[in-house]
Amino acid sequence: MAVQNYVQTIARTLMEEMRRDERVVVLGEDVGKRGGVFLATEHLYDTFGPDRVIDTPLSEAAIIGAAIGMSVHGRRPVAEIQFSDYVYPGFDQLVSQAAKLRYRSGGAFTAPMVVRMPAGGGVKGGHHHSQNPEAHFVHTPGLQVVYPSTPSDAKGCLKTAIRGDDPVVFLEPKRLYRAVKEDVSDDVDFTLPSGSGVRRREGDDVVLISYGASMGETLKAADTLSEQGIAADVIDLRWLMPWDERLVLERVAAVGRVVLVSEATHSASMISEVAATIAEEVLDMLEAPPLRVSGFDTPYPYAQDRVYLPGPNRILHAVQQVLDY
Amino acid sequence: MITDAQRFQPFSEEPIRLIDEGGAWVAPFSCDLDDDTLIGLYRHMVLGRMVDERLVRLQRLGKSSFVAPSSGHEAAQVGIAAALRVGRDWVFPYYRDTALALALGWPLEEMLGQMMGTRADPARARQMPAHPGSRALNMFTVASPIASHVPVAVGTAIAQKLAGAGDATVCTFGDGATSEGDWHAGVNFASAQGAPIVFACENNRYAISVDLQHQTGSPNVAAKAHAYGMPGYLVDGMDVLASYLVMRDVMAAARDGLGPALVELTVYRYGPHSTADDDSVYRSGEEVAAWRERDPIPRYRRFLEAREVWSDAREDELRAALKAEIDVAVKASDDAGPVPVEWMFDDVLSRPTPQLERQRERFRAARRAAGEDVEG
Ligand SMILES: Cc1ncc(C[n+]2csc(CCOP(=O)(O)OP(=O)(O)O)c2C)c(N)n1
Ligand SMILES: [Mg+2]
Repeated sequence: MAVQNYVQTIARTLMEEMRRDERVVVLGEDVGKRGGVFLATEHLYDTFGPDRVIDTPLSEAAIIGAAIGMSVHGRRPVAEIQFSDYVYPGFDQLVSQAAKLRYRSGGAFTAPMVVRMPAGGGVKGGHHHSQNPEAHFVHTPGLQVVYPSTPSDAKGCLKTAIRGDDPVVFLEPKRLYRAVKEDVSDDVDFTLPSGSGVRRREGDDVVLISYGASMGETLKAADTLSEQGIAADVIDLRWLMPWDERLVLERVAAVGRVVLVSEATHSASMISEVAATIAEEVLDMLEAPPLRVSGFDTPYPYAQDRVYLPGPNRILHAVQQVLDY
Repeated sequence: MITDAQRFQPFSEEPIRLIDEGGAWVAPFSCDLDDDTLIGLYRHMVLGRMVDERLVRLQRLGKSSFVAPSSGHEAAQVGIAAALRVGRDWVFPYYRDTALALALGWPLEEMLGQMMGTRADPARARQMPAHPGSRALNMFTVASPIASHVPVAVGTAIAQKLAGAGDATVCTFGDGATSEGDWHAGVNFASAQGAPIVFACENNRYAISVDLQHQTGSPNVAAKAHAYGMPGYLVDGMDVLASYLVMRDVMAAARDGLGPALVELTVYRYGPHSTADDDSVYRSGEEVAAWRERDPIPRYRRFLEAREVWSDAREDELRAALKAEIDVAVKASDDAGPVPVEWMFDDVLSRPTPQLERQRERFRAARRAAGEDVEG
């Protein structure tokens, strides 16, 4: 076990995977000498050199497109998009090329690759350093999507993503990069299965469902509730495609009340998908309608950087509503 | 003015320069600028430098969250600004264009409001610092995604051509931007249309940590123009007179219907990429120091002194006056105070959607329930 924060865990996990499998290559803007603008690729360049740690020109289309081509040729690329907000110049490559490759070739070509990208707000970064783009990718068949919220989960999910056979969009909550440290297993084969969610708290009064950066606020709200004698069951989805329907439906059916939390914009969001599935599958077990606490249907604001986020107050308000229903 | 365009040769191997490091005029033609114009350029360069240094201090004090230092780029930026007819031509700047925006006449208080995210920002503190914009100046609001403004600028230039009023557009960006697909898409379209636009690259040799050799296999940025069928000028962007006169001539050519051009202005950024960067990881202190020796401001000052239009006394006077102006603007921006929370819901579409209205109501209800001041 080693005590480390999220971003250190990413760098160390990449180091382990590059040692284990020489097919693994890292590419992106500033990932080499600079070690990444967040240091998520620190020491890789010194260890593996410029052939396996590629400082690319400033083009996300080139980064993602070339990662696909390398994967087709037998490499295991881990591409970094400096901020998820900058994936859009490479969006076509992800959506049109990577996501449809296996399908359109009848399985003849596949793209086992990972596209890592820091996401989420609360860092005073304005529109283009704060967004949560997961819904775009969840809405694109042919991609796996994961958004781990803790260092340990980041390690386990990143290894699963690198070792798997699909293109994986790997979102990292940049607000939590240095916010928490925890003991992370030093087992080099520590993986967490694709599609597995996890229960962070156990309780019978209300289920809180979240993932990624918003897990911090969700757990804070759960702690406040517990001080008030309300026991929240907290589920961290972790994987967004595929996601853990079994865990969610089982807990929601057992408790009967659910609040879903995500800082992504409200309309057509990941939590909307989960809420719709709950309504379809276990409506008759519900004591109250599922409530979503989310970001707003606005571009991410600069000045209201913190209030935009679904903080504990907004979560508690929604919990009160489902309890009072 | 077309003869001016022919005065400078595209695709030169060495950057076009009009004054040398010592400030001596080295061009084979004489300088046609009057003293007021010459001094005005200097004033804007010093203003840019002083504001940049102040912004870095404000960031350290927690008064601003981010700065993209522009020191070292002043000659290029002031030269570009001087070639624009404010209010007629359009400019699509990028985040490092502090001196350019100020030289165009962007009021200091508005700039500081933007940098400090206060009510003094006419854009309502919607964007992070270093994202200028001004309707009055035809200065398009900066967006962070690199090169995303290039095709937009081309569209404006095409509209200018359609309008037939003889106006033109300048689009600025860094060396890294030339790798983005949007950059190539825009430059190609401008060429196919013969649009009145000048693409001005502030080449500081780095895109954050990535140096030019890793950015492109082209010998320089100007050379890229060749493939697009437009002239590409390689200019010493630390020589304000070369920057201005080349820009002036290619803008005149664009206005005359001769089509687009690419101008590469070679500069160096003295600071880190941004206040979030540590540049010591990827470039040496000696390298930075060597470029400091070539600072565009003292270089141009030597030119002015040789012409006997500048002196130590005038320098002191200028700096004192600018400092006073900056102090006033910083205070005014600070005093303007933070923007109201609920401003974040405005300006998404021409009218708020019912969905957003409902979200705002729920937001208010939650804040009220938590005992917060909802009107604040
Ligand atoms: C599409 C996109 N990708 C990545 C970034 C992150 N980023 C911000 S500035 C920068 C480097 C830009 O370098 P250059 O174009 O040379 O301009 P300079 O900052 O050197 O003036 C990068 C990679 C971004 N803003 N937009
Ligand atoms: Mg640059």
